[in-house]
Amino acid sequence: MRRSIVGLLVVLALLAAACGGSADIEVSDVWGRPSPAAATNGAFYMVISNNTDAADHLVETSSDACGVAELHESMMSDGVMSMNPVGAAGIEVPAGGEAVLEVGGLHVMCIDKQAGFEEGDTYEITLEFEKAGPVVVEAEIKEG
Amino acid sequence: MTDTPTIEEPDLPPPRRIPWRYALIALPLVVAGLVFWWGYNRSQPHQFSGAVIQGAAAAPDFTLDSDRGPVSLSDYEGKLVMMYFGYTFCPDVCPTTLSDIATALEMLDDDEAEQVQLIMVTIDPARDDAARMGDYVRHFDENFVGLSGSDEEIGSVATLYGIYYRAGEGTEATGYLMEHTATVLVVDRAGNVKVVIPFGVEPEGIAADLEYMLR
Repeated sequence: MRRSIVGLLVVLALLAAACGGSADIEVSDVWGRPSPAAATNGAFYMVISNNTDAADHLVETSSDACGVAELHESMMSDGVMSMNPVGAAGIEVPAGGEAVLEVGGLHVMCIDKQAGFEEGDTYEITLEFEKAGPVVVEAEIKEG
Repeated sequence: MTDTPTIEEPDLPPPRRIPWRYALIALPLVVAGLVFWWGYNRSQPHQFSGAVIQGAAAAPDFTLDSDRGPVSLSDYEGKLVMMYFGYTFCPDVCPTTLSDIATALEMLDDDEAEQVQLIMVTIDPARDDAARMGDYVRHFDENFVGLSGSDEEIGSVATLYGIYYRAGEGTEATGYLMEHTATVLVVDRAGNVKVVIPFGVEPEGIAADLEYMLR
């Protein structure tokens, strides 16, 4: 009996790891677009779910694939696109809710790409949360 | 010893054959239906995904540099020309736009796609020379053309087409970031700026607009 409980816990832990996060924070659909060598920068998108009853904040990101990885937001106003870093508070992931990083909105801006970003490549990104701490996720390079 | 029950096969009627003559009647009906559906669709006004500019404004000609020599808008006379102003440093909106247009062109027949030319003009000539623009756009589609020029040349072309751009602050890591009009202008085959496609139109919508403009 005890052995099976331990086994179950191990399986759960592995599942949690495979989902790319602790049970408190789950990150899914992490991706970036293939981009040419001539493009200095790239962007990563993902969905972050907060399973706790307290809001958390994504405050920092880093990746070996990027010289620097910053949190930015694209904004469209009257057809004019601008892009700005998010404030020091980072990106809020509401209690029991999710934050969506998507095309034309919030994204991880991968400044000074260190790699090719070819379709099928995968890159690790470390997401630093205010409460949950670091969460390592894997981004897949794919078309949309 | 018990009696083994015998399973009696129910008397099913033999499967009915549909007489050939029914097919002879049905086929012309199906064909007539398809012809009607096609004609009906064609007769419906096309719902543009982009915004149609009422009152044709002739697209002013200009010449800028590509990595394969100077390129003028008039080089593509008779084609649909899609014009996009952006910059290669842009990680989100610009590559998404080019990727969506490339996907839309793949949805067209080859002879239709040949009638469409995408031109991307940098609004960040300090970072984007003609060589970088060429490498950048051909990643999305080998027929895309990327253009650069001097600050003055870019400024005057942008003004001709009502394109706004400005260098914004950015961060220590990024340096300045550009704000810019992110719409795609479509010049029709008569040389008029006819449709403005805003950011976020799905490739299906772009392809449908192009197909309609090619009719």
